[in-house]
Amino acid sequence: MFKNYFKIAWRNLQKNKLYTFVNITGLTVGIVSCILIGLYVSEELSYDKFHDKADRIARVTMQYTDGTTINRAALTGTKVGPQFRRTFPAITAFARTVQYSPVVSVGDKTFNETHFLYADSAFFSIFTFPLLKGNPATVLAAPNQVVLTETMAKKYFGESDPIGKTLKVNNGKDYTITGIARDAPENSQIRFNFVASFSSMRVSREEIWWTANYVTYLLLPHPQDLTPLQRQITAYMQTDPVRYETGAGAKLTYFLEPLTWVHLHSTLDGLEPNGNITYIYILSAVAVLILLIACVNYTNLATAQAQGRTGEISIRKVLGAGKGQLFRQYLGESLMLTVIALLLAVFISIQLLPLFNQIANKSLSSASLLQPLPILSLLLLGLLVSLLAGAYPALVLSNIRLMSILRSGFRLSSSGGNLRKSLIVLQFVISVFLMISTMVILQQLSFIQNKKLGYDKDHVLVLPASEEIHEKYDAVKAAIRQVPQVINTGGASGTPTYVEWTDGLSATTETGQKNFTVKAIPCDADFVKTLGMQIIAGSNFNAADMHMLDTTDNNKNFRYTFILNESAVKALGWTPQQAIGKTVEKYYPGIVRAVVKDFHFSSMHEAIGPLILFQDTQWVSRMYIKVSGKDLPGTIARLQSIWKEYAPHYPFEYHFLDEDYNTLYKTETRTGELFGVFSLTAILLACLGLFALAAYTTAQRTKEIGIRKVLGASLASLVGMLSKDFLRLVAIASLIALPMSWWAMNRWLQGFVYHITLSWWMFATVILLALFIALATVSFQAIRAGLANPVKSLRSE
Amino acid sequence: MIKISDLQKVYRTEEVETVALNHLSFEVKEGEFVSVMGPSGCGKSTLLNILGLLDDPDGGSFIFNGTEVAHFNERKRADLRKRNIGFVFQSFNLIDELTVFENVELPLIYLGVKGPERKQRVETVLDKMQIMHRRNHYPQQLSGGQQQRVAVARAVVNNPKLILADEPTGNLDSSNGNEVMQLLTDLNEQGTTIIMVTHSEHDSRYSHRIIRMLDGQTVTENILV
Repeated sequence: MFKNYFKIAWRNLQKNKLYTFVNITGLTVGIVSCILIGLYVSEELSYDKFHDKADRIARVTMQYTDGTTINRAALTGTKVGPQFRRTFPAITAFARTVQYSPVVSVGDKTFNETHFLYADSAFFSIFTFPLLKGNPATVLAAPNQVVLTETMAKKYFGESDPIGKTLKVNNGKDYTITGIARDAPENSQIRFNFVASFSSMRVSREEIWWTANYVTYLLLPHPQDLTPLQRQITAYMQTDPVRYETGAGAKLTYFLEPLTWVHLHSTLDGLEPNGNITYIYILSAVAVLILLIACVNYTNLATAQAQGRTGEISIRKVLGAGKGQLFRQYLGESLMLTVIALLLAVFISIQLLPLFNQIANKSLSSASLLQPLPILSLLLLGLLVSLLAGAYPALVLSNIRLMSILRSGFRLSSSGGNLRKSLIVLQFVISVFLMISTMVILQQLSFIQNKKLGYDKDHVLVLPASEEIHEKYDAVKAAIRQVPQVINTGGASGTPTYVEWTDGLSATTETGQKNFTVKAIPCDADFVKTLGMQIIAGSNFNAADMHMLDTTDNNKNFRYTFILNESAVKALGWTPQQAIGKTVEKYYPGIVRAVVKDFHFSSMHEAIGPLILFQDTQWVSRMYIKVSGKDLPGTIARLQSIWKEYAPHYPFEYHFLDEDYNTLYKTETRTGELFGVFSLTAILLACLGLFALAAYTTAQRTKEIGIRKVLGASLASLVGMLSKDFLRLVAIASLIALPMSWWAMNRWLQGFVYHITLSWWMFATVILLALFIALATVSFQAIRAGLANPVKSLRSE
Repeated sequence: MIKISDLQKVYRTEEVETVALNHLSFEVKEGEFVSVMGPSGCGKSTLLNILGLLDDPDGGSFIFNGTEVAHFNERKRADLRKRNIGFVFQSFNLIDELTVFENVELPLIYLGVKGPERKQRVETVLDKMQIMHRRNHYPQQLSGGQQQRVAVARAVVNNPKLILADEPTGNLDSSNGNEVMQLLTDLNEQGTTIIMVTHSEHDSRYSHRIIRMLDGQTVTENILV
């Protein structure tokens, strides 16, 4: 019996090539989408769950207010860890962490490294990062000890044993290697290449609440201890001694976030950028929708095709096949198709993984797919798909009334037609929704990309400024200026694309004492000019003002020079002109030299706030070099020789400022690309289904078309007649998708302070495009039918 | 073997009511070979469908082998059908996707006959129909006469008591037609009851008795033997 089913299913697939192609392609693409998105989603969901004590670890975030703004960060001062541990018995251990990107050298091997972590000694007992060598309890016990990952050990020491050897950090201190750790997994909010003992840092000797640069983790005895501990912390931070200690004006408190909650739910980035649970939901929904489209294709085609199989069905019935047997037979066919599609999908997914990883910025491997759980879920998925897609056609086919088919031939009932129409509408609602969303996302991304930032991020090279550069700062700058294609150069701490330095600004103004939090950029005299920031009042820094940073006599005469942005001036209640020459304080007083036009110094999700620039070259960590863009390789080679000469102990690495900028929107860009890929997939699948369905309905109307032609119908009128029905469905679908996508995209755009406004033409473009694609798909069949010789179709009946 | 009395069948669409069988009664004895004749639309095919348990009547009685079957549900009808009745159609109605052997095998599959026995029985009947050499061909690779021989083979492979033939020679030339009629006659001589719907006076002469129908009723019965 099964052999018979299988045989006839197989031969049917071979006979109806278009049908088979459309179904297998559709199901395969649908399942591939599911597999890829599934891998992505399950990786995101698995973040930080690999730690044995994952449910007992909490991350500490800080919230403080200066009276006007509330500031939150996943960072704390050095005091939080030890002080909380002493105060609250519910804390078993703590680990403060901070990461740098120093230069590491072993012998003559010198590299710029990232993910160089400093952590308290309990780090390896709180987190499950297995050590291949070394004792977790002692590897970070003393100052100047460091643990390397396996990869780093290979990089610096090859096959030899690094334990007990030393490495040099930033051409200064030596660290003794006490352990080798397995590389941190990808799905970890803590990634490291090196972990050095926290006690190596000078800051560790002093416990302070402020200077929040450290991500602090706490270990609790039980998961349920978190809520009571949170209450205790809130109360503790409000006690008088603590408030006295943290400063009377500032309200400072801390919140605990469960470790496994951080990656997808926290709005605060810690050591690594977070994911976003909303995008996880959206992507999962997209996967389900694409699969649904593929299932609909199958259902529609199978019921449409039922017409061609009525002969077979009735003969089987006459010969004694029961309803159940027929139902099972046709369900078996969809199962077979699904299994073929499933195998193809697994194969294709594995082939596509590298490409997908590139788009999604992941390193998923096919190994994670070939595990018992994914395989089981895939089998379940296959079963679900074949049921979802195959049950209805099987029911229709097995229920065909014998009488109606024996002689007169079988006509699809109109109710089946309605179902097919509804399903087509469903497909196009999904497709149009995804297309509109993609369109809006791409528009917003290009808006961000092209928005005037208030400075010029193009053709700006960024080079690291090490101590060696600092020593001959002016000489280096003079040398850079000698390079022909260089227009200007200046230095600053950090990047203007995302200013992290937070400071306090105070001033006595006409309306009283002002005191608020600002972002700050320490820079040299040429930075503002190099980046093309626009001074709207006053004049630029003068390099000669550097002498005002007078540290003699206990900083008594120490004076800054400031440039404020418009927002800062406004917050002080001045006009730009009024501000010039005024004295403001950033711990030490200084004179306002100029006011710059507001520029974007954080992502478009946030509004531009107050910012100050202050001249102080000792903080300069990066040199910004504006170049003409001509002869880049030559320019870079010249710069490299300058760096070789002035900073021989540091590797030369450069990048462009716009790269910094683009990393700010990595999540959005990635989502945009993923959305684009999958919405394209959805519309292609929907059209494929439409194409095949049009082929069948046209074939069904061959005789009618023949008669109409004989009676004098033109090709245009025939194409119109055949396309009209489908176009109407697509139009209805567009009307349904329109308000849905309007709502969804509006919500998404609300997440940006600076965003495009939705306008009718975006929706009109997409809907016209959808109609056009549908028309092209359907009219191909219609034209073919219209051009056929009517004599042939009439004779065959 | 078959006794129908007062049989009625009415087809209704939204606007038209067509009486296909109008209080029809007759009897067919075991081992008989009966032809049913009449113009198009006289109700022949409806009658055949009801006799073949493919459709149920709106009224009257239908006794098959001593059992009243007029009100059987679809499942019971299907069960009775697959054990007792073989069909031969004008348009052969072979399944294009199956080979000759597989087509003939199908009724045995639905009867639940085991593989080896199936093979033996199919081969026997194919041999008898002289179509064994075509066993692995598909229907469209055969001539009309050969296809109808396969259809007859399929109709008899489960040894039915009754064969219903619906214009079995309608799509065949005269020599192939005669061959098929001879096959049916042979089967009848071996004891199978045959009811055949036909337009052909020539074919009807192979049978024992002709029932002539008009507007859903029997008009005359000619006894030939």
